[in-house]
Amino acid sequence: MLRTRNLGEADRIVTMYTKDKGKINATARGARRIRNRLLSPTQVFTHGRYLIFPGKGLHNLSQGEIIHSSQALREDLEKMAYASYVTELVDALTPEEDPTDSIFPLLAGTLSLGERGRFPLAVRAFELRLMGELGYAPELYQCLHCRDNLQTQIFFSEQGGVVCPNCIGHFPGIRPLTNGTWELMKRLQEWELSRLSILHPAPSNIEEMRVLMRKYLDFRLEYPLKSLDFLETLQVIPPLGGENNE
Amino acid sequence: MSRYPKPMARLIEELTRLPGIGPKTAQRLAFFLINQSPAEVQALADSIVDAKKRTNYCSQCFHFTEEDPCPICSDPKRNKNFICVVEEPRDVIAMERTKSFEGIYHVLHGAISPLEGIGPNQLRIKELVARIGPDVQEVVLATDPNVEGEATAMYLARLLKPIGVKVTRMAHGMPVGSDLEYVDEVTLAKALEGRREL
Repeated sequence: MLRTRNLGEADRIVTMYTKDKGKINATARGARRIRNRLLSPTQVFTHGRYLIFPGKGLHNLSQGEIIHSSQALREDLEKMAYASYVTELVDALTPEEDPTDSIFPLLAGTLSLGERGRFPLAVRAFELRLMGELGYAPELYQCLHCRDNLQTQIFFSEQGGVVCPNCIGHFPGIRPLTNGTWELMKRLQEWELSRLSILHPAPSNIEEMRVLMRKYLDFRLEYPLKSLDFLETLQVIPPLGGENNE
Repeated sequence: MSRYPKPMARLIEELTRLPGIGPKTAQRLAFFLINQSPAEVQALADSIVDAKKRTNYCSQCFHFTEEDPCPICSDPKRNKNFICVVEEPRDVIAMERTKSFEGIYHVLHGAISPLEGIGPNQLRIKELVARIGPDVQEVVLATDPNVEGEATAMYLARLLKPIGVKVTRMAHGMPVGSDLEYVDEVTLAKALEGRREL
């Protein structure tokens, strides 16, 4: 479940990413009523099995069964903010009812890693791999301009990848890329998502990658993502001891 | 060309702007109003204008009120050191229906929603923090038990707990009169987690 919006007195419009049909919008009648069976399965981040009848405009969601409620994502402010960013990215970048086989397991795997306390690393991997699935994978091995294989002294361009020192004049707004972050990006792009749990990069590398990927996504997206503002707000308020942070 | 006389077409257009009113319902309401006596229609129009003119926000709790502060905030019997935080004015009405809360309220006018771009600055959170004086003993967070409401509650707890005030959250549980068999697994797990000894 990527997103829900209220409709009328008691209904919801839900946006979900499905295995078979890709992104789907549907109405869930009565889903806000306290005793309605759709109330819980239509909570954001829920992984479920749904019965949907096709409609002319919006489809009709008639039944839902929770496979995994992802409750841990809703009980921690950072996890909730990162998961919102992940679902917003999918909503913003994927076309309706045009499924890509690998996006569903990528989304489910990322949220699952996040639940187990691997945000923000899982989010950085998700950004790279989602862009790859959609045909916008940043080039991480050859210079974007001269196509030489790169060794050291790397730069990153928001236009789509790494650049050698000789070609930086061709790319405005280019940024240096440290070797540690470069290695991290290559691993996140290549490794199976399940293997990422053994990766423990330095926070400085994750932060450097965050800045670079933000620039790259801003270049590709036509509008800014709303959930990013909230993530930034959270940086200034430290979590309480009782929250489920790992 | 419109099928309706101009004034009626305008009435239908205005009614369509109301929440939950589509073009068909607006047409039905417009026909009903046109068939009413002038005095009845005038009374309805007056009540709308009057309600809009005389209803303001309470400067303390931000609930709807005619006089400022609102009757709840100015009631000497209310415990001013016990604040219940809710999302919307209609939540105050719901809480008051319980007749079991004797404190005062604070209405946020929304909930944090990262996906809709609603952040803490768009809510009455600064005003809530300003109300937490040394005498306030407890703040109960009664935001909705959904993603947005939980996020708002967690955010408020982060802000308020360091001030030193006791922060509590409304319990999650099974609806009274329901069948356990039909309660969803998330609610049931929450109810089990919050069980009480008898």
